[in-house]
Order: sequence, then structure tokens, then C-alpha cells
Amino acid sequence: MSNDDPLEAHAIARVQQGDASAYDYLVSKYLPRVVSIARGVVRNAHDAEDLAQEAFVKAYESIGRFRAGEPFGPWIYRIVTNAALDVVKHRTKFRQEELVDNAAAARRDDSDLGALRGELARRIDAAIDELPEMQRLVARLHLVEELDHQEIAAATGLSDGTVRSHLSLARRKLRERLADLYGDNDD
Amino acid sequence: MTDDDKFFERLRVDARPLRYQPDEVTLARIRARIRDRIGGGSPQPTVALLLARWFRPLAATLAAISLAAVIGVATFGSDELTVRESAVEITAAGDVYSVGN
Repeated sequence: MSNDDPLEAHAIARVQQGDASAYDYLVSKYLPRVVSIARGVVRNAHDAEDLAQEAFVKAYESIGRFRAGEPFGPWIYRIVTNAALDVVKHRTKFRQEELVDNAAAARRDDSDLGALRGELARRIDAAIDELPEMQRLVARLHLVEELDHQEIAAATGLSDGTVRSHLSLARRKLRERLADLYGDNDD
Repeated sequence: MTDDDKFFERLRVDARPLRYQPDEVTLARIRARIRDRIGGGSPQPTVALLLARWFRPLAATLAAISLAAVIGVATFGSDELTVRESAVEITAAGDVYSVGN
């Protein structure tokens, strides 16, 4: 993957030379998508904002290792995805605390969902949520964030083949779960 | 396009509202927090920057030494010329002596 945005490549070069103000361009360009990806994994807007902030700070601190000419997007998506998955793993580990946290998170999520349009989207959201972890992540990145296979592979660290396999399994399960909405035959 | 692909395409369109879009106030708040966090520090330098930091003083020292050497040679050369030009010949008892200034 190469960087097609000359402004972005220039901003990265300037940040690597120590110009922190040039980082604003990268933050402004990717922040909404990064928050959305984080929210899709942790299911909580407040945590998603914190994760996005941490991801950008982490990326800034290690931008010296970033290869020139590469796009910034997949890199920051990967950082935030890994951080969000860590949060989910931590929650699973301390399931007892999670029961309490979930109640608060669910209340916050209800307000977030208020912004979502329509019952159909809610049904799809619930169906994606029931998928196993990696299928859920890959399906969300593909369906909601509209990333292609290559971008998902870069964001998750999975191979292209594994991404396709997860998507195929997710598609089959979603089709079963949403059969009443989409029917057995789409034509 | 297979039936499965068509299903996924339709699902993708219908799932579009699920994308979380933070409002401008939220985005501005996160941007400000990021700016605060990175404002004090500088990113880890690249290898090229590290090398440049080491070589810049070294190159400056070498340049200074070279300049001093050039000035020294020029000065020495002109001194030699001055001695040659201002040599005085003294004749004593039939012998000729050449004496520098």
C-alpha cells in the first residue's frame, strides 16, 4: 500500500523531523474513523474516545519507526484495534467487574444508539454482536467501516486469507440470523 | 456477483447508519487532549536524525580544523616570501652573507 495523499506524506515527514504541529493534519483526517472503530469493538463511546486519544499519542511517540511512503490510516487503525481488543480481553478476564461496568456502558450505549437510524440497523448491530470475537471485528470493519480486505488485514494483523475466511463465516451466520429481513434469496 | 456477495452488499448499505460519528465538540475535545499530550515531548527520532545529530558537530569541528590549516599555510607561505624578499646581503672580507630580516 502506498500513500496517495501528498499532504499526509508531508505531514508525516514534518512530524518525524520534530514538528508536532504537523500532527494536527493526521489527527483531523483519521480521528472520526478511529473513534468509530474503537466504539465498534468496545461498544462504549466514552471508552472509544479515550482509546482514540491513546492510539494517536502512541502513534506520535513511535512515528520515527513509521516507514515513509506508507499510508497512516492502516497503521493507526491497527493501533486502536489492538488497544480496543485489549480492553475487551481485560473485561472478559474480570467478568465480575464487567457485570457492573456493562450496566453503565449499556446506559451510555443506549444514548449512542439514539443517533442510529432505524430498527434495521439495530437488528444488524445485534446480529454482528453475537458473532465470535474475530468474526465480529472483521465483519464490523467490513460492513460498518467499509474497509476492504487489504485494509482489514493491515488493521488487524491477520493475513488476507484469514480475513476472507472470517468474513465468509460471518456472512453465513448473519444471513441465517437476518433471514426474516433479507429472506433466503436476495433476488 | 454471487447471491452471498449481493447479500453482503445490501447488508453493507443497511449497516451504514451503525458507523459512529462523533459530533464536532467531541472531536475538538479529543484533538485538544491529544495536542496537550504531545505538546511537551518530541517523537522518537529517526535513524537519519540521530546520525545527523552526531555528525553535525563532528563536521563542524573538521571544517574549523580545515579552515585553520588553510589560514596557517597561507600565512606561513606569505611569511616565507617576506623573508626572501627582505633578505639583506652583507659582504665581509670578500665573503657574501645573506641574512633574513
